[in-house]
Amino acid sequence: MRLDRIRRLAPIAMVAAVVATVLSLVSAATTREGVALSIAFDLAIACVTTLSLPDLKSSHPVVSRAALTLLALDVAIFITFFLNSSTNFNLATGAAMSIVLLGLSFLTGASGQISLGNGAFMGVGAFAMAIWSNHHATTPIFLTLLIAVACGALVGLLLGLPATRLRGPYLAGMTLAFAVAFTFILSSFSSWTGGDSGLQLPTEATAPRWLDGFFHAGTSPLTTTTLYITDFSIIVAGVAFFFMANLFASRTGRAMRLIRDNDVAAELVGISLPRARVAAFIVSSAYAALGGALLTLINNSVSPQTYSFALSVTILSLIVIGGIGTISGAVIGGIIYAFSTNVISWITTQTGLNPQGNFASQLNGIIFGGLLILTMLFAPLGIAGALRHLWSRIRSRT
Amino acid sequence: MDPFLTSRIVTDVLGGLTNGVIYGMVALSLVLIWRSTGVLNFAQGAMPMFATYVGFALLSYHFGYWPCVLACIIAGLLIGGLTERLLVRRLYGKPEINPIVVMVGFLIVLEAVAAAIWSSFPRSLPSPFSSIDWQLAGKPIALSPFTVYEIATGLLVMTAVAVLFRFTKLGLQLRASAVAPEVSRLLGVRVGRLLTLGWMLSTVVGVITTVLVSSNFFTGLTPQVMDGIFAFGFIAAAIGGLESPVGAIVAGILLGVVNQFVTDLVNQNAVIIIALALLIVSLMIRPSGVFTKRTERRV
Repeated sequence: MRLDRIRRLAPIAMVAAVVATVLSLVSAATTREGVALSIAFDLAIACVTTLSLPDLKSSHPVVSRAALTLLALDVAIFITFFLNSSTNFNLATGAAMSIVLLGLSFLTGASGQISLGNGAFMGVGAFAMAIWSNHHATTPIFLTLLIAVACGALVGLLLGLPATRLRGPYLAGMTLAFAVAFTFILSSFSSWTGGDSGLQLPTEATAPRWLDGFFHAGTSPLTTTTLYITDFSIIVAGVAFFFMANLFASRTGRAMRLIRDNDVAAELVGISLPRARVAAFIVSSAYAALGGALLTLINNSVSPQTYSFALSVTILSLIVIGGIGTISGAVIGGIIYAFSTNVISWITTQTGLNPQGNFASQLNGIIFGGLLILTMLFAPLGIAGALRHLWSRIRSRT
Repeated sequence: MDPFLTSRIVTDVLGGLTNGVIYGMVALSLVLIWRSTGVLNFAQGAMPMFATYVGFALLSYHFGYWPCVLACIIAGLLIGGLTERLLVRRLYGKPEINPIVVMVGFLIVLEAVAAAIWSSFPRSLPSPFSSIDWQLAGKPIALSPFTVYEIATGLLVMTAVAVLFRFTKLGLQLRASAVAPEVSRLLGVRVGRLLTLGWMLSTVVGVITTVLVSSNFFTGLTPQVMDGIFAFGFIAAAIGGLESPVGAIVAGILLGVVNQFVTDLVNQNAVIIIALALLIVSLMIRPSGVFTKRTERRV
């Protein structure tokens, strides 16, 4: 049966791939563009074919997740080539934010705890990235990102060790205190962190030369650079999501979910509660640091005002609205973050509010805070949960 | 040789006492709500802030300081009661993170609405007493009429809460409905009403704190006025043990004094860092708080 299906699928996929390759090579203006197009189409076809194999999800879950990630990355990167640079910039920040959201979603989904300080952990990563690149400008980007992640994990360990052992709202309160303290910490070490003005990266992450070939002659280097940074962020986010999806489904992830649902049962089957809780918190801080480091790379600079308590609260709102404890919720939250500024300024112009007025400048807080309360009261799993519910109703009807 | 009252140590202790009383009151109001409803109220700074703005709106109708304070307290009673009835009541028995998230949302909404109505610029309130330190032989002793007013009001509020809980029938009912809601209900205590009353009470403690903080000439009233103070209040409550009102007050006052020494000997920025470090160390050594007995959890 299974072999049958594969035998039937293979020729279709082959034909589709050949057609796609020929079409893109013929229709593209330059050979380089044609090759890129055909790679994009063929990769998508390969991923779709792999995903449509029967029982793949149960027999080879990792392969299935890898194919899904590749497909999503392929489509996303393909789309970014057709967007203007301000939209791409928004998407890049959204991708960085979705990594942070994923970490928080994991913390809550896996251990039932919550952090109100992920903005500060983001700041740890962002400043670690900037400080390291200012001292060692030649370190490759990937290595610097990993160093930032390690810094985030270390601070997470320091704060998480005492707080995660306790029942009750200690972790939430402690991370809140950390978020409030973070700007003071930054100005205490102003010789490193640059004080109020923050830090600039020594070298801008510019697009490699080969990317120029995909644009019409005369396209500004800014567009190319934005595109490069956007795609880089999307790829990093893809890798982060792939790891997290595996972690959610792994033995550790299942153990953590048991802790959330019934900690006594978890202890009885031999799970060490403190260790698992601290581990979940460290993962969430490390992911926040990765998102922050990426944001430094995108903005080419870092400013202490960004990492205030308000950012931590925004992060919480985004993941709750997107769907806390879910992976798709982090994607939804990231997309909301990417376009929220545009949407809110659109609302301001549509309603005729004075953009410099008190009300318009507070609209962000009113909308996000209100949605936070309403979501938690009426749909605790957010948009992701609502969609899942809708989907299961549609499926049960047919 | 300095005279005793103007020596550095005494000055720091007296200065710290003023802040400590404020932290102690915030910690107390957090503990009151945590004990009775199992909710750590992250809007415990924002709700009183809003009430204070509402009360002092009367200033533009030429009311004096004290009528405005009374209006603040009435607004606080209303906000506390309505919050419990309309918002918090839906959250009892839900997973631990639900009340946290909702109260954080409430905090954002209150701060944003306050800034939308009254703008986020600091608003100076009339101070009933002078904030200029008394002098002794040409040197200031860290006490002014205003700080005495702060400390005295703080101690008065704390004593009033203690008397209410320990010596009145209402206090007994409040304690009973916090410890054993089911049994209290069977014995005829109207637990629901008492929970609302508990929230009103703790909001009023918060309102008095906020009025004290923001009538200080140097701070003024802003929508974020309580954010930092809330953080210190939580640190104090956690060090003292979230279950213990006495612990919260003592830890709050000590934290204020420690902070003053840190400000004096290191700098202003180090204050919250040291406080955070204290919290980490104290949770490592005595997770359940310095002032509470260890309790085993039953399944």
